[in-house]
Amino acid sequence: MTGPALAGVEDRWADKKLLHSWIRNSAAVLKSGDKYANDLFNQYNKLPMTSFPALTDANIDDILAYVSAEAAKPVGGAKAADGATAGADGKEDGGNSLLFGIITLILAIVAVILMQINSNLNKLAAEKEGHERMEPVPFYKNKAYIALCIVLLFVVGGYFTIQGAIGLGRQQDYMPEQPIFYSHKVHAGINQINCLYCHSSAEKSKHAMIPSENVCMNCHKAITEYTGPDLFTAEGKKVNGTAEIQKLYDHIGWDKDAQRYTKPATPIEWTKIHSLPDHVYFNHSQHVNAGKVQCQTCHGEIQNMDEVKQFADLSMGWCVNCHRTTQVQFASNNYYSIFEKLHNDMKSGKVDSVTVEMVGGTECQKCHY
Amino acid sequence: MKRTSNILIVAALAGGAFLASCGNKGAHHRKPGKIYVPDMYESRAYEFYNPRLASLKPVDGTVKRGAMLPYHLKAEDTAQANLVKNPLVLDEAGLKDGKRYYDIYCGVCHGQKLDGNGPLYKGGDGPYPAAPASMLTGKVLGYTEGRIFHVITYGYNVMGSYASQLDIEQRWKVVGYIKTMQNGGKAPEAAPAAPAADSAATTAATPAPAVAAAH
Repeated sequence: MTGPALAGVEDRWADKKLLHSWIRNSAAVLKSGDKYANDLFNQYNKLPMTSFPALTDANIDDILAYVSAEAAKPVGGAKAADGATAGADGKEDGGNSLLFGIITLILAIVAVILMQINSNLNKLAAEKEGHERMEPVPFYKNKAYIALCIVLLFVVGGYFTIQGAIGLGRQQDYMPEQPIFYSHKVHAGINQINCLYCHSSAEKSKHAMIPSENVCMNCHKAITEYTGPDLFTAEGKKVNGTAEIQKLYDHIGWDKDAQRYTKPATPIEWTKIHSLPDHVYFNHSQHVNAGKVQCQTCHGEIQNMDEVKQFADLSMGWCVNCHRTTQVQFASNNYYSIFEKLHNDMKSGKVDSVTVEMVGGTECQKCHY
Repeated sequence: MKRTSNILIVAALAGGAFLASCGNKGAHHRKPGKIYVPDMYESRAYEFYNPRLASLKPVDGTVKRGAMLPYHLKAEDTAQANLVKNPLVLDEAGLKDGKRYYDIYCGVCHGQKLDGNGPLYKGGDGPYPAAPASMLTGKVLGYTEGRIFHVITYGYNVMGSYASQLDIEQRWKVVGYIKTMQNGGKAPEAAPAAPAADSAATTAATPAPAVAAAH
C-alpha cells in the first residue's frame, strides 16, 4: 500500500490550499502538525509522498479535475481490473500450477475418450468385415491402461518428491510459540514504536538483533499492565497481557512494587524464526542503509502481527529475484560511488536505472564465500 | 520391465509422502519442519545468535574500530557531566541524523515535536503513565549538552539508559539536534542559521553549524 485512493480526495481535504501544498511538499505539511495529514502519514506506514515542487496551482487543479472525473465514472471496470491484479499478485505460483494441473487432467480425459472411440471404431470395422474378434482383454490387464497408470503415478509421486525435497529446510509461515507473548502489533502498530528502537543494530551490523531486556525496561519500568485491545494466540486462546509483562519481570528479577531488581536475571530464550544456513552471508545494515529496504519488504506486515511468522521462504530464488528486479538508489548514494562506468552510463542515458544485479548482486561469491 | 517400473512408482510415492511430511505444514506452523544437514543451519561458528554467545559485552578496555572513545564518567558524576562539551561539530547532515535518531528513540515518549507528548504518552491517553519531559520548556532548557548526553547514557527517573541502543556518536548527534531545536525554535531547517543568543537558559555554546563533522 502506497497511499489512499485518490477518488474523492477533494472532499476529504477541507482546505483546498492545504491540499495544494500537501501535493507539492507533503513533508512541510506534516511538519506544520496538521492532524489529518499526520494521521494519513501514520496510517500508510510513514511512507513520505514524493514532493513535486514544479507543479503549479493550475497543474494540480488539472490533476484534481481528472481524478474527480475518473471517480465519477461507473466503478465496474476498475473494480474488475483491481480484482484481477490482486489475484495475480497474491497467488501467482499457486495459480499457475493449478492451471497446469487442470490442463493435464483435461488432456488425459480427452486421450482416454479418443482411445475408447478408436477401439470402438476398430471393433465395428472388424465386425463389418467379418473378422474373428479376439476376446476383449479385461481393462486391468490391458497393457495400455497399466502403462498409463504407471506414468501417472510416477509423475504424481515425482512431483511430491521434488516439492518435498525443495521444501526441506524451508520454514515459510513458521510461527513458533515464544516464551513471552510479545505482540509486534501492540508495540510497532498501535504504539508506533519504530522497528529500530528495539532492533537498533539493523542499521549498524549484520544482525538486526534481539533487544536485551534493558530495552524492554525503558518502558516497562513504568508500564506494568496491559490495557489495549484483547490479545489472542493464533489458536484463538485469549492472552492476559499483564501476566505476560509479569513474565518479563520474573525473567529479569524486577519487583514492580518495590521498583527495583531483587532477584538474579535469567535470559529469555526467544525462539529464532528466520534462520539462514551458515553458507549464506546476509547483512542487515547493508540492506537497511545502502539498499534503503523497508523491514516489511522481507518480514511482511510486522506491525499487524500479534505473533510473528516467517513471511518469506528465504530461498535463494527469492533473494535472487529481488536482486534482479530491485532498482538501487544509485544517484547520490555514497555506497555506490565507486561504480564509475555505471555512473557514466547513467549520465549518457545508456541505462536509466541500476538494479542490484548490475552492481554484482547476483554473483555467487557476494553471498557464498 | 514391469517390475522396474513398479519399484520406481513405489519409490516415488513413498519418497513424496515422506518428504511432504517433513515440511512445516500443520496447525499454524508451530514446528519448524525438518532440515537437511543441520550443522549448516545451527551455526557452530562464532555467530551472534549462537546460544552460547548471546548478549556478550565487548572486552573491557577495547574500542570498536571507527567508534568514538568511551565515556568514562559514572552515573553519579553529574557535576562533571554538566561541563562535557559535544566533541562533534555537526553540519546539516549530522543534524538530520540527529533528528532521525531523536524521532526513533526519543520521540516515542518525548514527542517528535519535542513537546513531551509522544505516541506512548498521548496527553495521558497512551499506555505510559508518567508525563515525559518537554525538551522546549521547563528544566530541560537549562540542561547543558553534557547533561543531556549524561541523561541519555545513564537514564533519569523512570527513563532508562539508551547506551545500548545509541552509540556515543549517535548520542552526541541527538544532543546536537535537541540543542539546535531549543535555540532555533520549531523549524529545523532554519535552526542552523539561528543565533544562540536568544536562549538565555543555555549555558553551553551551541555547535557551530554548517561545518563538516570532524571526528
